[in-house]
Amino acid sequence: MPAAAKKVKSGSVKKTKVVPVKKTKAVPQKKTQPASTTKAEAKMPIKKPNFSKVVDCRPAGVAETGLVFTGYEVSDDGILINHKLHYDQLYTLRNGSNSKHFLGFLDGKIFGTRCPKCGDKFFPPRITCWDLTCKMEQTEWVELKPVGYVHTFTIAGWSGRSSLKRLPFVLAYGIIDGCKTAVANFLLGLDPWDAEFGMPIKVVFKPKAERLGAMVDWHFEPGDGWTPGPMTPEKERMKKMTLPVYEWVKTMKE
Amino acid sequence: MIAGATTPFDYGPTGFESIEEQAVMCLKEIQQDVPDFSLRDVDLMVYSHFSVHFGHQLCPEWIVHDHLGLVGVPQFRVENGGNTGGSALYAAWLAVKSGHHHIVPIMGWETMDSVSQSQGSEFIALASDIRYELMVGGIYPIFYAALALKWMKENNVTEEDCARIAVKNRNNAMENAKTQWYRNEHKYLTIDDVMNSRMIAYPIKKYDCCLMTRGMAAVIICDEEHAKNIAPDNYVVIDGIGLSSCTIRAGDRINIPGWTERYGEGYPDITEFAACRNAAEYAYKHAHIDNPRKQIHVAEIHDAFSTSEAQIYKALGFATRDNVAQFIRDGCAEIGGELPVNPGGGLLGYGHPVGATGLMSLTECFYQLTGMIGKKHLSKRGQIPNAEVGLINSHAGTGTSISNFILRRP
Ligand SMILES: [Zn+2]
Repeated sequence: MPAAAKKVKSGSVKKTKVVPVKKTKAVPQKKTQPASTTKAEAKMPIKKPNFSKVVDCRPAGVAETGLVFTGYEVSDDGILINHKLHYDQLYTLRNGSNSKHFLGFLDGKIFGTRCPKCGDKFFPPRITCWDLTCKMEQTEWVELKPVGYVHTFTIAGWSGRSSLKRLPFVLAYGIIDGCKTAVANFLLGLDPWDAEFGMPIKVVFKPKAERLGAMVDWHFEPGDGWTPGPMTPEKERMKKMTLPVYEWVKTMKE
Repeated sequence: MIAGATTPFDYGPTGFESIEEQAVMCLKEIQQDVPDFSLRDVDLMVYSHFSVHFGHQLCPEWIVHDHLGLVGVPQFRVENGGNTGGSALYAAWLAVKSGHHHIVPIMGWETMDSVSQSQGSEFIALASDIRYELMVGGIYPIFYAALALKWMKENNVTEEDCARIAVKNRNNAMENAKTQWYRNEHKYLTIDDVMNSRMIAYPIKKYDCCLMTRGMAAVIICDEEHAKNIAPDNYVVIDGIGLSSCTIRAGDRINIPGWTERYGEGYPDITEFAACRNAAEYAYKHAHIDNPRKQIHVAEIHDAFSTSEAQIYKALGFATRDNVAQFIRDGCAEIGGELPVNPGGGLLGYGHPVGATGLMSLTECFYQLTGMIGKKHLSKRGQIPNAEVGLINSHAGTGTSISNFILRRP
């Protein structure tokens, strides 16, 4: 078990910290090579990326346990038995050619891509063009202006297990800097019922130290100069349905 | 198609949870309905199962297959999100039409009650682009709400209109003891109940959402020659098939060249189910249907949310922007209406065990066209008189993969 997982005890979220990993010597290949291998073959012909910068921001209680049978239950009539199985596993999601876009988040930048043939601009990026007539033309990276507008939105009052405590929130599909696509993210900095179609928005990044090179590094906020419109019957209804969510979240256990 | 059956759809303990047991329940019912059907005659099995996360078992179909004694019989599993059932039917249809296979059962299931509701929502949301949408707290009701909110505004469809759909399907389900609504909440709903239920994601409320379900369904697809031999008076012809696709992230479809080429600028936006329209066009052409609203007598469609049922009316050509609200308010889709939709309860009423769902819709439609509703439900109330042509719809992602089929009584 990794040390990080063992140490964690309290319910608090550990601060993001950069753990520089010492460059280890290349694993000696000789030992694993069959005796008959020639010297030329023993040298790795392909240079593989090495990952020295590792950021572990694992919340408390997240441990990789693999498969564990944790118990069973028997129905009161003694006829049925159910097994309890727990499974937790760390995944490495490799981003390959999309990396520039996620690396950009670390620097507080929004990188999309653009097709040099037809000019279509994408965020989230596509590494090649989506227009079949462009025949998978390689796109080029472009830094986008961190502003746009709301294409559509909703107020979430329920979510997946990992997001329950963030409720209620506005999830907006925003179009950034004239892209041909809209991207979903939180719209914060307003009362949820004040969200509007077409309202100007800007991309706001978390403080640098808290960024993870992922979509959660930023969210939308109303664009500069925007002010909420007057209350309407629909907004009143949204408000009426949203307020209990705040109360419900307060009652939620850790 | 010569037969269809489902287990009761449920959530939580029932005593018949194991998948091999559920498979046997379905097949025994089929054997009762069609005594001349024998597993011995099966020459291909198609399995329809979405997420191995729920059972924590890779290739669970292998368990079912060998349990039934079908060693040596070819099999494979189809997985295509919420359109798994429809896609399995597509595969079975192609297998039979190719002439290579003759009798092809499809069995589909999901065991969604093996984890908590919120964990289940998150498992399903793994079918969204996890790098983008899941990471920012999105689950399907949230995506669908964002799509529906804009669509409802543009089509003058109100929350009450959608609530009416939720009421229709849930109350239809009260006629069938196998439905999850009948087995669990078991009550007749009103529009007020839906309007006052708690907000999941505006404008979607609790009673606008389908349920997490455990259940299995089986259908038997075969060529017409075998159908005439095995079930001469009780088969339907799958007369039209259509399968289409759209973007995984709903935000990517507002300007995508593939749709612009077909349907012009500005479609489907984020609001319309283009893959549904496209799949319907294939199926209608195939089945020589040019006026779906008049020529189709009953439809079982993918009402994961009441709002999406409304959106699907339009995508299927049952109504247009100008009259979709009126279509709902006039009760056109209700039993006794012009084109009853989901008289079997749909996902809202019957339940949504993903891999079984499309096959449940297919089974209900089959019962309609063969006049079996009275035999299978608690009453004949849901039987659409003289239904000869039916449509079933199976739908995945945020409209990412959709299939439509036309069934016809020969
Ligand atoms: Zn291009």
